[in-house]
Amino acid sequence: MNCEAILPYLIIVPLFGAFSMPIINLAGRKAREAWAVIISGITLLIGSAVFYAVYENGPILYTLGAKSPLGQGVSFPVRIVWEVDLLSALMVLMVTLVAFLAVVYSLGYMKHDTGLDKYYTLILVLELGMLGIAITGDLFNFYVFLEIMSIASYALVAFRNDTWEGIEAGIKYMFTGSIASSLVLLGIALLYGEYGTLTMGYLAVKLAQNPTVVAKVALAFFIAGLLFKSGASPVHMWLADAHPAAPSSISAMLSGLVIKIGGVYALARILFSIYGASVGMKTVGWIIILFACITLIVGNAMAVIQTDMKRLLAYSSVGQIGYILLGLGIGLAAYGSRTGDIALAGAVYHTFNHALMKALLFLIAGAVIHELGTRNLNELSGLAKTMPKTTFAFLIGAAAIIGMPPLNGFASKWLIYESSAIFNPVLGAIAIIGTAFCTAAYVRVIYTFFGRPSERVMTAKDPEASMLWPMTILVLAIIVMGLFPWQISDKVMIPAAKALENQLGYIATLMGGA
Amino acid sequence: MGLIVKTTARVTIPLIGIFGSYIVMHGHLTPGGGFQGGATIAGAGILFLIAFGLGEMKKRYNKNLYSALEGLGGLAFLGVAMLGMSVAFFYNTLWHNGPVLNGKPGTLLSAGFLPIMNLAVGLKVFTGLVSALTAIALWRRWKG
Repeated sequence: MNCEAILPYLIIVPLFGAFSMPIINLAGRKAREAWAVIISGITLLIGSAVFYAVYENGPILYTLGAKSPLGQGVSFPVRIVWEVDLLSALMVLMVTLVAFLAVVYSLGYMKHDTGLDKYYTLILVLELGMLGIAITGDLFNFYVFLEIMSIASYALVAFRNDTWEGIEAGIKYMFTGSIASSLVLLGIALLYGEYGTLTMGYLAVKLAQNPTVVAKVALAFFIAGLLFKSGASPVHMWLADAHPAAPSSISAMLSGLVIKIGGVYALARILFSIYGASVGMKTVGWIIILFACITLIVGNAMAVIQTDMKRLLAYSSVGQIGYILLGLGIGLAAYGSRTGDIALAGAVYHTFNHALMKALLFLIAGAVIHELGTRNLNELSGLAKTMPKTTFAFLIGAAAIIGMPPLNGFASKWLIYESSAIFNPVLGAIAIIGTAFCTAAYVRVIYTFFGRPSERVMTAKDPEASMLWPMTILVLAIIVMGLFPWQISDKVMIPAAKALENQLGYIATLMGGA
Repeated sequence: MGLIVKTTARVTIPLIGIFGSYIVMHGHLTPGGGFQGGATIAGAGILFLIAFGLGEMKKRYNKNLYSALEGLGGLAFLGVAMLGMSVAFFYNTLWHNGPVLNGKPGTLLSAGFLPIMNLAVGLKVFTGLVSALTAIALWRRWKG
């Protein structure tokens, strides 16, 4: 089969699943759940196939509506294109995997809630939006998918609308998130007015020919809007409210995927593939590094003092986004050097790893809440006695996020430490301080779990199979990825980072070598 | 609402509905299209809700039906987008190869899959807006 022919099914299948959900729902609860699992499972298969195809054969270009993106008789692209290089393919794999696990997990976790047909529709739409962001090569198409993802996540954060915190977090997230999205739209409008094209690759050509002030203003809007979406520090407050308030399967997707696809990946794509040749990479890199350092310290330090388990994990997500941004910023500031390559590969690697381990940790938090009905860490002492499997999974997840050597977090963090220490020792020191805080936070939780059992936890037991299996798969993925860190880094992550840096390749793929 | 409003609504609701359908069907020829027409028809639904009250609306509104129709609108859109899948997603095969909707540009049966997409979007927008407004109108009470 032609490898690019499968690409549209990445969008078609979840869209079909979401649109047919209201009709399938008429057949009852079982049908709706089976349908959600089947659709996200097929999407996972397609995502793996796309990843494999890109890994084997290089980038895929797909044009909507015709064979070629170029218009008749003109030499510039007029149609919407989807362009998938290795980085996008990696993101696709990550999204489809975690989304599938989150859907399976929801079967057990959400069964006491009502309105679940809407829930499964929204979760498929959320997945669709993230896949669209990952594969698109068109700036406005990107915005549409960004909004699909954002609106689905606003609705899902406030899904439990009988709780005050769901509504509060949803409103906060929606108001601030819409402003951030409109900044992105404003940036796109400015670029379109100045250059008259919305195709990312062709826009890069136009920008390189004629860099203007307008382009820089647009870049500032993009950075502002997308740093918000990724939960970087001065604007991370929505995240700390949204993640605890959302159902845990959604927190896992928000923290594992949404902040990375809608924030970091989009930022990386715009900075490298559109602005790569036309702005001072060093300046932009240092701006990102500045926010990364603030994010690192604030996120991890705030995680230490939390007593709410999911809030702790949410702040830890902010801290880990700091690492990813640090890698991205150094990749920009040291563009073209070995240090920059390693930092960028570390950022890509950590994005993937953090998606796995933060999804695992949120799923565990969900299981604990499901069994005990509390998120307060002070009431959870001695959980290891009654929920041994869950505690073991948490131990793996926490060790991975701190960066213990046999697990996957080690290699990715090592790449970021190493490159930041080479690039600028102060940044290396900041990264280490962040990890020290992060370690303190997780050791506190583990210490609680292994304490003397409180009365509350005595009646708890491990969750049912549909909740336990996604955790098991994530634990296995973390351990297996931890066994081959450098192989994965050399075979996948460094080529993915190279693909991101290779702006000329991105443009050449679009223009078909013409 | 009073008698005058109800009687006027009886007269205007069909007119709004017909005008909205006109906008949807001529989406490829005149300004407007699926969204605009769908929103216009939804205006007729909202006029019904306001003029005749929530009680009447509850009798005539079926949540499952509207929900299913909304899904159906989306599926129809996706379906016609996939007709030309052998060339590309969203390839307008009805326009290039027929059998229908490939008439002379400017006539009603032209523009390939566009009229079908307009109908699908119109259906989706109408059912979605009416469902949303009815759900808001059904909101339990003012005070907690």
